[in-house]
Amino acid sequence: MSQQLVSKVDVELPSEPSLTARRPFLRWVGLAVGLLVVLALPWYIYPPVAMDIAAWALFAISVDLLLGYTGLLSFGHAAFWGTSAYTTGLIATHVGLPFPVAVLGGAIAAMLLALPTGYLAVRRTGIYFAMVTLAFAQMVYFIANQWRDVTGGENGLQGIPKNLGGMTDLINSDAFYFYYAAIPIILLGVLLAWRIVNSPFGRVLVAIRDNPARARALGYDVERYKIMVFVLSAGLAGLAGGVFSVSHGFASLQELVWTTSGKVVLVTVLGGIGTLWGGPVGAALVVLLEDRLASSGFNGIGIITGAIFVVIVLAFRHGIWGTARNGLGAWLRSRRRTREDV
Amino acid sequence: MQRKKTLALMATAVSGSLVLAACGGGGGPASSGGKISDGKVVLGLLNDQSGVYKDLSGPNSKVAIEMAVADYKAKYGDKAVAKDIEVVQADHQNKPDIANTKAQEMYDRDKADIILDVPTSSAALAVATQAKAKKKLFIDIGAGTTALTGAQCNKYTFHWAYDTYMLASGNGAATVESGGKNWSIVYPDYAFGQDMTKSYSAAVERAGGKVQQKIATPFPNDNYATFITKAAASKPDVIGIMAAGGDLVNFIKQFNQSGVASTTKLAVGLMFITDVHSLGVDQFKGTTFTDAWYWNFDAQNRAWADKFMAKTKVRPSFAHAGNYSAAMNYLEAVQAAGTDKSDDVVKQLEGKKINDMFLRNGEVRAADHNVVHDVYQVKVKSKDQVKEEWDLEQVVKTIPANEAYAPASPDCKM
Repeated sequence: MSQQLVSKVDVELPSEPSLTARRPFLRWVGLAVGLLVVLALPWYIYPPVAMDIAAWALFAISVDLLLGYTGLLSFGHAAFWGTSAYTTGLIATHVGLPFPVAVLGGAIAAMLLALPTGYLAVRRTGIYFAMVTLAFAQMVYFIANQWRDVTGGENGLQGIPKNLGGMTDLINSDAFYFYYAAIPIILLGVLLAWRIVNSPFGRVLVAIRDNPARARALGYDVERYKIMVFVLSAGLAGLAGGVFSVSHGFASLQELVWTTSGKVVLVTVLGGIGTLWGGPVGAALVVLLEDRLASSGFNGIGIITGAIFVVIVLAFRHGIWGTARNGLGAWLRSRRRTREDV
Repeated sequence: MQRKKTLALMATAVSGSLVLAACGGGGGPASSGGKISDGKVVLGLLNDQSGVYKDLSGPNSKVAIEMAVADYKAKYGDKAVAKDIEVVQADHQNKPDIANTKAQEMYDRDKADIILDVPTSSAALAVATQAKAKKKLFIDIGAGTTALTGAQCNKYTFHWAYDTYMLASGNGAATVESGGKNWSIVYPDYAFGQDMTKSYSAAVERAGGKVQQKIATPFPNDNYATFITKAAASKPDVIGIMAAGGDLVNFIKQFNQSGVASTTKLAVGLMFITDVHSLGVDQFKGTTFTDAWYWNFDAQNRAWADKFMAKTKVRPSFAHAGNYSAAMNYLEAVQAAGTDKSDDVVKQLEGKKINDMFLRNGEVRAADHNVVHDVYQVKVKSKDQVKEEWDLEQVVKTIPANEAYAPASPDCKM
């Protein structure tokens, strides 16, 4: 434990370990490859599934912003994902605005909800923080369940249109085109997360995570920073949820149920927390697994996803991406050392 | 700094050109000029293969559909319009988003001409949305919501076996007529429970009965003790329980332990023979409910159930029989139309009067695509009445189709 703390102090930011800091070109290579994968995804994967991966990736990144960078485990993020899904759906259905505007509206609604939630939740840490967020999420779930005139209750909000001005027909004709219409929203969200993490604000977050007392002693208003990052995180989850609901053409209680909050934490931990890249990796794994297993004829999907989770948590503490990155870093270091020896 | 910029530019250029190259390679969806699209008819089964609804439909529904395919081929032989028939299946895990993606995938990738079953109302409505968008058929068997043939109805969606209105009108009215005038209804406080309570109250009052209490419970719920005491306080003749699945099992166990069971009859909103089988008949003591079909009702049902049991080792629920009937009638419609083009098949199905092993006095209503048929008020047999393992129900009354189902909803605009 103490060793871990020391290493965190050494490293400025967890997302920028010495590896990429020393070799900046690696970051650009990583970004280029990432962008390539994102753009090429619907050619190799069924487009609606690719869209799900992208939405879940941003959702996981939003959780990582709290969990990995600020040390707050939110167990109620489905509330923001779902609130935005419903709000986006209602705007698109009743106002008929283009879907990016509706998604933005959904994200704003999620942020508005996050204000009081965050205000109350950040007063506690650890398990109490998780419980407060879970309690709020359950409240939202029951409101959506009961408010049937607006949300459709158990049946969900069905038939959300995909509007996009003159391109409406094109994106409705094939999910393939919709992917390219919606992916900029997801990329915008990822860019935002990247900016947050690589800003002075992001550095303060990491300081708060590692030593809140010291951060406070340095004059930072810890609670206010936590509320800010909570609201920002909710906004990102909202962007993802909005895209998800437009992509599927509906919003249902599934978006708000507590297992969705659990699933996104699972996705984040699988990929690796505190890495930003971890979320997309975890999302791709979980969504693809669910999709493949659903058609496999195998009747125990939970057993497989559960077993993978247990293995990853026990054997690869830093998640898939974290383990891969650390492994690469160690390899490069050892290579340099041998070179220097010679 | 300069180097960074160059690299970023390069990265964008490379990814951009790759996308462009890929665009050139992609072809549009292949169109087929033949009478049968893609040379074969594909039936897609989308239901719960791993969760709470696995037993009442699940993997055994595939067996039922394959039986329909075999019977169709045997019936028409060389004259069959659909020579090559494939059955594909997927597990929607009762989640509407997975149902939605899988339905798209079945229509687009597997070239499914029809999707069958789909329990869980929200999942069924999600698939109906896809059926409308893709202009392909969808026959729902497993879900109960009346919205499928109401506000959410569309040209390509049919609702085959049952709905919440029919469940209530069957057992509700018949119980009042046999003396159960005063009711307490206990229901889980979500859409299905609320719908069922509304339908049941209306059915009871139409028949001259009275609903004294409507008691909402949380959903899901484990402890029903207080709700049972409250429901019994007004000394009703009948307690109606609108919970389903695991909640229903909990309620029935606690109801039997409470002592109320000796003075009050129990009416269950929705129950499948698989529920009765897994709990055991002695838990029910003459409980009544509405069943869409019972395997041991007559020789025709039994003959089919025997064939089913030879393959699956269990007796069929009404959902299994419904899947067979829907698949068979779809194939018959393809045969009559001479093509699997959706619009022509829909035309064949609309208004069709059907009598088969599942539907009695059945009719595919053209106005809302609700498939109405005779349904049954049944009573769970007592232990000494049970002659063989799955012979658990006794048909009390046959409810004719026009009484069992609501008239076509004005909300439905095709």
